[in-house]
Amino acid sequence: MALIEIDNLSVTFLSKGHRVNAVKDVSLSVAAQESFGLVGESGSGKSTILRAICGLAPISGGAIRIGGQVLDRKAGKAFAVRVQMVFQDPYASLHPRHTIDRTLSEPLAIHGIGDTDARVMRALDDVGLPRNFRFRFPHQLSGGQRQRVAIARALMLEPEILLLDEPTSALDASVQAETLNLLNRLRAERGLTFLMVSHDLAVIDHMCDRVLVMQHGAAVEELTRDQLAGAQMKTDYARSLFAASADRMLAG
Amino acid sequence: MSLLSVKNLRVSFDTEAGLVEAVRGVSFDLGRERLGIVGESGSGKTMTGRAVLRLIRPPGRIEADSLLFDGQDLMTASEREMRALRGPRIAMVMQDPKYSLNPVMKVGAQLVEGLRQRDRMSKMDAHDKAIAALEAVQIRDPERVMEAYPHELSGGMGQRVMIAMMLIPNPDLLIADEPTSALDVTVQAEVLAILDNLVKTRGMGLIFISHDLRLVARFCDRVLVMYKGRVVEELAAKDLMQAKHPYTQGLLNCLPRIGGPRQPLPGLDRSADWAV
Ligand SMILES: Nc1ncnc2c1ncn2[C@@H]1O[C@H](COP(=O)(O)OP(=O)(O)OP(=O)(O)O)[C@@H](O)[C@H]1O
Ligand SMILES: Nc1ncnc2c1ncn2[C@@H]1O[C@H](COP(=O)(O)OP(=O)(O)OP(=O)(O)O)[C@@H](O)[C@H]1O
Ligand SMILES: [Mg+2]
Ligand SMILES: [Mg+2]
Repeated sequence: MALIEIDNLSVTFLSKGHRVNAVKDVSLSVAAQESFGLVGESGSGKSTILRAICGLAPISGGAIRIGGQVLDRKAGKAFAVRVQMVFQDPYASLHPRHTIDRTLSEPLAIHGIGDTDARVMRALDDVGLPRNFRFRFPHQLSGGQRQRVAIARALMLEPEILLLDEPTSALDASVQAETLNLLNRLRAERGLTFLMVSHDLAVIDHMCDRVLVMQHGAAVEELTRDQLAGAQMKTDYARSLFAASADRMLAG
Repeated sequence: MSLLSVKNLRVSFDTEAGLVEAVRGVSFDLGRERLGIVGESGSGKTMTGRAVLRLIRPPGRIEADSLLFDGQDLMTASEREMRALRGPRIAMVMQDPKYSLNPVMKVGAQLVEGLRQRDRMSKMDAHDKAIAALEAVQIRDPERVMEAYPHELSGGMGQRVMIAMMLIPNPDLLIADEPTSALDVTVQAEVLAILDNLVKTRGMGLIFISHDLRLVARFCDRVLVMYKGRVVEELAAKDLMQAKHPYTQGLLNCLPRIGGPRQPLPGLDRSADWAV
């Protein structure tokens, strides 16, 4: 049994009489300790799938199961310990009037975990932020520094599943490398499972065992890592993404 | 005469924990070209861009030996003169586009605002122009997006709305801070083609801040590499992948590749001489 099972998921937003079919009949499954990628057109529903897993999107069809259990809104606290999400938009996901220290220690307090100081320091070390950044506010950080706080926060509760929405697109090459290495190390050490979105096929190739290509709310094609690297895609859309990534191939 | 001339720009913040020097003596000239700025997270790229617009909030301070835009001294310009420049002549696509849009105003209303007030366009003309601007950045359903609020957009749609909005008044200088980081590669190519066309046909100046070294290498004319508030290397974009400076080389080494090995990516040695 897969750890994350998504069967025929549809998500429909209703806004001002418009129906937005953000996700249309998408299925995927991620085994425990697997790393699964989502790529595709901007606006194709990638973030919405991650949000749906967290109960943050209006599901209009299909089902999501974690460890065989259908998602339950009442799961609340227990769910948070198992599944954490790094949002695409670090600015919007950090509380503007909370210091970094408070942002990182709050999840611990909510879940009654002690040893706060040491854990916060270690989280900052892990994502390569100076410890004295603890007392800064989000607006006093650069874009990439904020993103690293968001990653650190997701790691505080030592979850089993990490949903990562463009976790490194705001980071420079060196911090991206450190962050990807950290994520891979944690996956190996703690047996984490990843579902991650990225526009950079080189990042997907480096991080993921399988990848689902999406366009316009629908699944287009699923590829293994070898199929991706070997250009063995069947659909025109997946091929066009690959062709436009020629600058990130090994030989190039 | 260059479009923008920056000499010894410094941006600093007095914080409770002491002085933070975000930009420490940056100088460059920009013509009607595509100038890339790359460099470490926190190296001062965004602050450099914001300083040109004098958008640094107190306690932040801007100092410069000179900051000239089209012959006009930006350091001595009044706040009123700056407001007249921001938007119509110098526009900036912010790194956090959804955060920079007004959260309680529909996207369409934000797009047509300037056209109605500044250009005194009729409601219908302004609407048509806004739709065309959204179509140009590959928004699939522009009528729906006009009626949407910013939180109803995807990350990449927010970026494209912001780009469309900044380009509507035809600025002479566009500062684009990570403008395509949330776009898939095919939509990204379309958006870059628009920017490229504006530089080539209208002579717009473009400052393109990005972490994507390979993108900058193929899209820009010239590149500044920043580290800890300083420009450590300036080179032709086509030479970026063969950069000389150890920091730039280090950055290039860290990049993953499609089909590359699964080992940990090389890191950057920050204890080297150049880093201090
Ligand atoms: N709260 C909402 N209300 C209405 N529509 C929404 C809402 N959230 C998302 N959408 C719409 O759902 C669609 C999918 O959005 P989503 O954020 O999942 O895309 P994405 O694949 O993550 O794109 P990107 O790569 O640009 O981040 C978009 O058309 C978006 O406008
Ligand atoms: N209000 C502030 N108070 C104190 N320090 C600040 C403030 N705003 C920014 N800084 C610091 O200034 C430095 C430069 O920030 P800037 O946003 O220009 O970085 P950047 O090069 O754009 O980085 P990124 O690629 O991560 O966006 C950072 O180290 C940041 O922490
Ligand atoms: Mg998204
Ligand atoms: Mg920045």
